[in-house]
Amino acid sequence: MTAVIETEGLGKRFRRLWALADCTLSVPAGHVVGLVGPNGAGKSTLLNLAAGLLAPTAGTVQVLGGPPPARPSQLARVGFLAQDAPVYAGLSVAEHLKLGARLNPGWDGEFARRRIDWLGLDPGQKAGQLSGGQRAQLALTLAIGKRPELLILDEPVASLDPLARREFLEDLMEAIAERELSVVLSSHLMADLERVCDYLIVLVGSRVRVAGSVEDLLATHHLLTGPRRDLSTLPAGQQVITASHTDRQTTLLVRTSEPILDPAWTVSEVGLEDMVLAYMRQAAGGGRRRPLENHREAQK
Amino acid sequence: MTWLTWRQFRPQAVTSLAALAAFAILLGATGPHLASMYASSGITACQGQACNRPAGTFLGQASGVDTLVFTLGFAAVILAPALIGVFWGAPLIAREFETGTFRMAWTQSITRARWVVAKLALPGLGAIAVTEGLSLMYGWWAAPIGQAARLAPADSFPLGMGPFSLLAFDAHGVVPIGYAAFGFTLGVTTGVLFRRALPAMAVTLAIFAVFQVVMPLAIRPNLFPPAHITQSLDQNFSGQQSMGSGGHFTFTLDYIDSEPGAWILSSEAVNAAGQPVSVLPAACAHAAASTGDPTQCLASKGIGIAVTYQPSSRYWPIQWTETGIYLALALALAGFCYSRLGRRLP
Repeated sequence: MTAVIETEGLGKRFRRLWALADCTLSVPAGHVVGLVGPNGAGKSTLLNLAAGLLAPTAGTVQVLGGPPPARPSQLARVGFLAQDAPVYAGLSVAEHLKLGARLNPGWDGEFARRRIDWLGLDPGQKAGQLSGGQRAQLALTLAIGKRPELLILDEPVASLDPLARREFLEDLMEAIAERELSVVLSSHLMADLERVCDYLIVLVGSRVRVAGSVEDLLATHHLLTGPRRDLSTLPAGQQVITASHTDRQTTLLVRTSEPILDPAWTVSEVGLEDMVLAYMRQAAGGGRRRPLENHREAQK
Repeated sequence: MTWLTWRQFRPQAVTSLAALAAFAILLGATGPHLASMYASSGITACQGQACNRPAGTFLGQASGVDTLVFTLGFAAVILAPALIGVFWGAPLIAREFETGTFRMAWTQSITRARWVVAKLALPGLGAIAVTEGLSLMYGWWAAPIGQAARLAPADSFPLGMGPFSLLAFDAHGVVPIGYAAFGFTLGVTTGVLFRRALPAMAVTLAIFAVFQVVMPLAIRPNLFPPAHITQSLDQNFSGQQSMGSGGHFTFTLDYIDSEPGAWILSSEAVNAAGQPVSVLPAACAHAAASTGDPTQCLASKGIGIAVTYQPSSRYWPIQWTETGIYLALALALAGFCYSRLGRRLP
């Protein structure tokens, strides 16, 4: 499995605060990868480092097998949609497409025009007058129109209302379906990612809590309910993510690749959202320091 | 990248071209009348001292409108670099940071270095062109007044004095090029440092104002070592004299006979030995009391006025040197912006 983004002990400090500290992860190629974690996990900083917008304070980051994009040939291979989808308010939709054509040798003008047309955007309209959802769509069109190998989306739907979220993600799926493209998108809400991702990385406090294809994750996580018991009596292959006890009953979220054989347990499937929340809760319970993720700071 | 820079710069370019056009119309409407008045005043035909009268007459004829245009034009040339720094320079990159659009720009397939160079070059050259354009138009319009003011007695036209006066030097020649380049790059640099347009605009204005005050008062007089001359009082004395109690007196000269158009930096009364004199000799106190004018008496005692000045031949060397200083500052600031954004990642 080749990696599109690979970090090793990656850290970024803004003044005295570490937004990302000692982060080691690998984002596989050929997937739509969801990077999920609470606010402050370092997602945005990580993606900005991968896009070459920030320089690391510590560690290394490899993008598509090389350093983060800086030269035109590298920049052309990575599409980036920044948080809040910044566009030039004074430029029209058509002028944004012209911008994309002028600044990217691999520009797919046909795709961009078709997409704008299909979205129903007026080419003559100033980008400053677009709705949040339309702005995100325009910025996404630019990011895909340059024909990147890797598309990085930093909280693409965070500022959108629920309907616009759904539309944006559906359009995203459609736009990338016809391309050979690795995608990484971040969100602090699992619900946003559930529909589009086939691979998940849960990041809490700069640490990868769990990573794997959605299929594998669903197959290896189980919710066990049974009479109250001591956790030390569990089989070695079962990793307890969260446990809750009442006087008589124990409920566990376990990860295991082996079948659950103990008849005392009632085994039920667990949804992605509950699974991710369990990992976040586990991390929070561990008392781990949470580096700051502040997007104003992230600009510095 | 040139296209994007031009597209982003277009509103400012249109505004400033409109302002240039309005300025040209104003000068074009009033200039020919001024020039014909000058041509018929007899200044062009006169020689030496004989020019005093026609020049004074011409300046006296200049109407209220001419005085107004003279002042407005001067203000436009002087303010243009400051306004360019504040409204073009400061928001240029600060706005990209404020709105987050730098993230879009920096993730297209061009290097950040190219982005910075394009952003600096196009509006920077525009700043120079607009300011120098204003200055050349104004220079054409005000040439008769400047010429006459050089020849006329100093008190005949309060606005127009020698080429070195604050009201003339800053608005003519090549210095506006330096001011424009410096004002613009200063604005860009503060924008890069603050990353917010409004504080960058305020700081740009403050720093630019300090430079424009310090340069003519403290630096420009010393760019070249000044010349010295002692002018005797028996010639036509052009200047101010004041008498204080206890026989104290001062003379200030504002015109050197042998050096027309010179920039007088300081002047004081000295005796034949070159020692400063500030108290009337007893013999002259009487003359001062009876006639009110001790000049003749002082001259007979060998007292003259020592003047420190820059001769008019230094006009262009000083213009070029000052322009060079400002251009060097502008280049240094541009280099700072380049290394800050173009090469090093934040």
